[in-house]
Amino acid sequence: MDMENQTRVLELVEKYGKDSVVVVLGGAEAEASGLAAETVTTGDPTFAGPLTGVQLELPVYHIFELKEIIPEDVWEDQISMMEMVLDVDEIVKEVTTYRERNGG
Amino acid sequence: MTNPVVKATSYCLVHAPDMVLSHGTTLTMERAKDPNAPLLAQVKEGLRSFREVLAYPPNQCYIGNITPEELSKISQPWYENALEPKRQGHLGEIFPLDEFIAMMKIADSFDLVVLEENFAREVSSKLSTHPLFSPADLAILEKYQSLEQITTLLKNKTAIPLELAGQVVGCVKQAHEHDANLKAEIIFENLAAKASGALALKHLLWNNQLDPGIVDYIIETSEEACGDMNQRGGGNFAKAIGEVAGCINATGSDTRSFCAGPAHGIINASALVKSGIYKNVVVLGGGAVSKLGMNSRDHVKKEVPILEDLLGAFALLISADDGENPIIRTDAIGRHRIGTGSSPQAVTTALVTDPLAVAGLSITDVDKYSVEMQNPEITVPAGAGDVPLANYKMIAALGVKQGALERTELDGFVQKHGLKGWAPTQGHIPSGVPYVGFAREGILRGDLQRAMIIGKGSLFLARMTNLFDGISFIMEPNPGKQVSTATAPEKVVTVGVTLLGSEHGLAEVVRGAELAQRTHKNIRVVAIGPKESTSLPTVEANSEEDQRTTMERLLKSGEIDACVTMHYNFPLGVTTIGRVIAPATGREMLIASTTGMSAGNRTEAMHTNAILGIAVSKALGLTEPSIGILNVDGALTTERSLKELVKGDYTINWASSGRSDGQVVMRGNDALTGSCDVLVTDSLTGNILVKMLSALNTGGSYESVGYGYGPGVGENYQDIICIVSRVSGAPVIANAVQFAAEMANARLPELVAAELAKVGLTKSTTSQVEKPPAKPVDQEISGVDVLEIEDAAEALWKEQIYAEAGMGCTGPVILVALEDLELATNKLKDLGYIS
Repeated sequence: MDMENQTRVLELVEKYGKDSVVVVLGGAEAEASGLAAETVTTGDPTFAGPLTGVQLELPVYHIFELKEIIPEDVWEDQISMMEMVLDVDEIVKEVTTYRERNGG
Repeated sequence: MTNPVVKATSYCLVHAPDMVLSHGTTLTMERAKDPNAPLLAQVKEGLRSFREVLAYPPNQCYIGNITPEELSKISQPWYENALEPKRQGHLGEIFPLDEFIAMMKIADSFDLVVLEENFAREVSSKLSTHPLFSPADLAILEKYQSLEQITTLLKNKTAIPLELAGQVVGCVKQAHEHDANLKAEIIFENLAAKASGALALKHLLWNNQLDPGIVDYIIETSEEACGDMNQRGGGNFAKAIGEVAGCINATGSDTRSFCAGPAHGIINASALVKSGIYKNVVVLGGGAVSKLGMNSRDHVKKEVPILEDLLGAFALLISADDGENPIIRTDAIGRHRIGTGSSPQAVTTALVTDPLAVAGLSITDVDKYSVEMQNPEITVPAGAGDVPLANYKMIAALGVKQGALERTELDGFVQKHGLKGWAPTQGHIPSGVPYVGFAREGILRGDLQRAMIIGKGSLFLARMTNLFDGISFIMEPNPGKQVSTATAPEKVVTVGVTLLGSEHGLAEVVRGAELAQRTHKNIRVVAIGPKESTSLPTVEANSEEDQRTTMERLLKSGEIDACVTMHYNFPLGVTTIGRVIAPATGREMLIASTTGMSAGNRTEAMHTNAILGIAVSKALGLTEPSIGILNVDGALTTERSLKELVKGDYTINWASSGRSDGQVVMRGNDALTGSCDVLVTDSLTGNILVKMLSALNTGGSYESVGYGYGPGVGENYQDIICIVSRVSGAPVIANAVQFAAEMANARLPELVAAELAKVGLTKSTTSQVEKPPAKPVDQEISGVDVLEIEDAAEALWKEQIYAEAGMGCTGPVILVALEDLELATNKLKDLGYIS
């Protein structure tokens, strides 16, 4: 997860508190999505950004996991094509691993 | 209007291993944090030799030694499957770092690059046999300094080093003490972009044997910014690069849109060519030193060699239609609009399926898509995935959503319409543009029918907008080429006929127009004239002047494809090719020419008339028309000059006179027997011939046979206007309508352009006198001798009167605006051009 996004997540948590923040990822690739999930739960694994050593333990989901709560027409317009293109199972598996490791 | 074509392409790479460490942002940021960071040594360890770079299959693909299809058959990792290490390819060349450092010096106009003496001598001697480097270039390398002088500059921190294999061989100085935009790092980065862009341009010109003087405009599309503290991105790389390559007739400018820059540049170039503003526009881009080693952290981690050790560069020539090279379709440009949105499907729709829908095509009608052609061996280890593959999947998935493909056809589509990426991750370099060269060649060979080039850019990186950018265009075979061999079904052609002006009255013209409509089902005849004159559809015009402007408007808008009219002033350089029936044999014969003038000089005009006559004859379906020259003054000179053309690779099928000597020169008898398909003559004699042959049986005042004086043709003339005379009768008018429709169907202007290009007949001299600003001219001044007509126009320009030389039906005319008429007439009288 790049430095700017890490900063933004940190600022939002400081402003609203951990209990009011949910992270929704849109990454196109499993490994990168997993890294992002790890960053907002146990801290930045690359030791480069502001979340290094910061255990936010935020609930984190990939957008593909939230299909049921998204209006059908929005899903159709915004996501359905990429659902066909990307390796949804692998991405979800990776993000789930970090979320569950976090006990979420 | 002309079609823009992709006339030539060049793709060059520069191997810059030392610059990975000194200028790649991944490494410079690492060094700033920790000068002893292990990554620095690890990257140094992982750098490749020049030989390894040459042998790397994607690089051999970039310069054209293997095709992308051949690359995809080589098993990966490609860095373990070396090819023969060739420097030169038919599309480009790979340069080693020492030569590139020399090029930075050659491209340096402000003595900011300093080379060390021994290095400068060695590289100069090495380059002395390289065709891209001139003696003038090598002379620049003689301005070297000692290592001590360079060390002093570096010690004072007013310069940064130029290194080769870890040794200092020179430096780049700051251009200003306090200006952050002129500090040594920025000058280094900009000179690297300039020098690599200049290499590609020099290669383009040399490899395609092009004179640098033909380039009219250069569009530079890299991602650097040159300027000073008051204008960070003032520009202009384009002119700076053109100067290095000797393009003395070019101007230019820089176009920016992150990685989408090249695609925008090509579309802008196409528009400039299509509008006729410029004939030859170069689109180019040099490389970015900051992107070197961008993903090296991941490459080290995954034990991949440092593959991002190359600066990429390209140069393309977009030219006016030559009837051969693939065209860029300007009617179906894909674009990411500001309101398009950023979801992948909205973007793919805007860039791919929207323009295809405009062109009436499906996604499967495009043989190959060129997207971000990044080498997957660079991006996959860095976690960015296989970029081209992801793009192809998106296009296919959109096809499934829109019903053009079955879900099961998704993978097959990617295989068939996609390509493996081969370009270095230099941002704008991989963005669609690397395939233009292969697409051009594939289309020319007939292997490809259509390619779509897509450029995308991440505008949000500049923090000015969150928007994304993208633009696309389609390349197709040149229709001019198809036309000459085509058997395509004829479409319905709309031909206008102006009604007023005949000495036989309006009813005679109407009779001709209606006769044409009854005879030809594939022609739609539209009358231009007074209302309720005819049952034909009519566009109202109530004077001859009104008819003329209406006709021009309808031709311009495409509401009519061609027009038949009497008395029209063509611009100078345009002449009409008449079509008569030889009375002795009933054979059709073209008379080249019959009104207007193709050139001011008589024999030059007859020479050009022959070529124009051949073009019109080809438009009528004769592939090898026989050519005769009427025995008038200048016939033998014309014969000689045409025979010079035949010594080249131009073919002329000579006719032989029906008289006993059988010569190419035709006598009066031959005009009656139709001994040739095209009879070459001066236009005034040709005019007399058409009148005599058309009115032969009527006593003279009524032209009853033939097709009239024919269409106006000449360089860059795009309208199809067929001329009849004020005494042409209905049968001739009806035939002229047919003649006009045949010319529209055959796309006559494209055939004319192709024929003139074959013999190199383009305007050779431009006037020394500067023209005043153009304005509409509709007033005629007649009485100027035909040989003096151009001089007369120029004489008026000197007086700041805008004038055009033209040819009326009765002779040459000078055309001026109403407000200038009196002054112009008096001037011409004073100067003795008219009495």
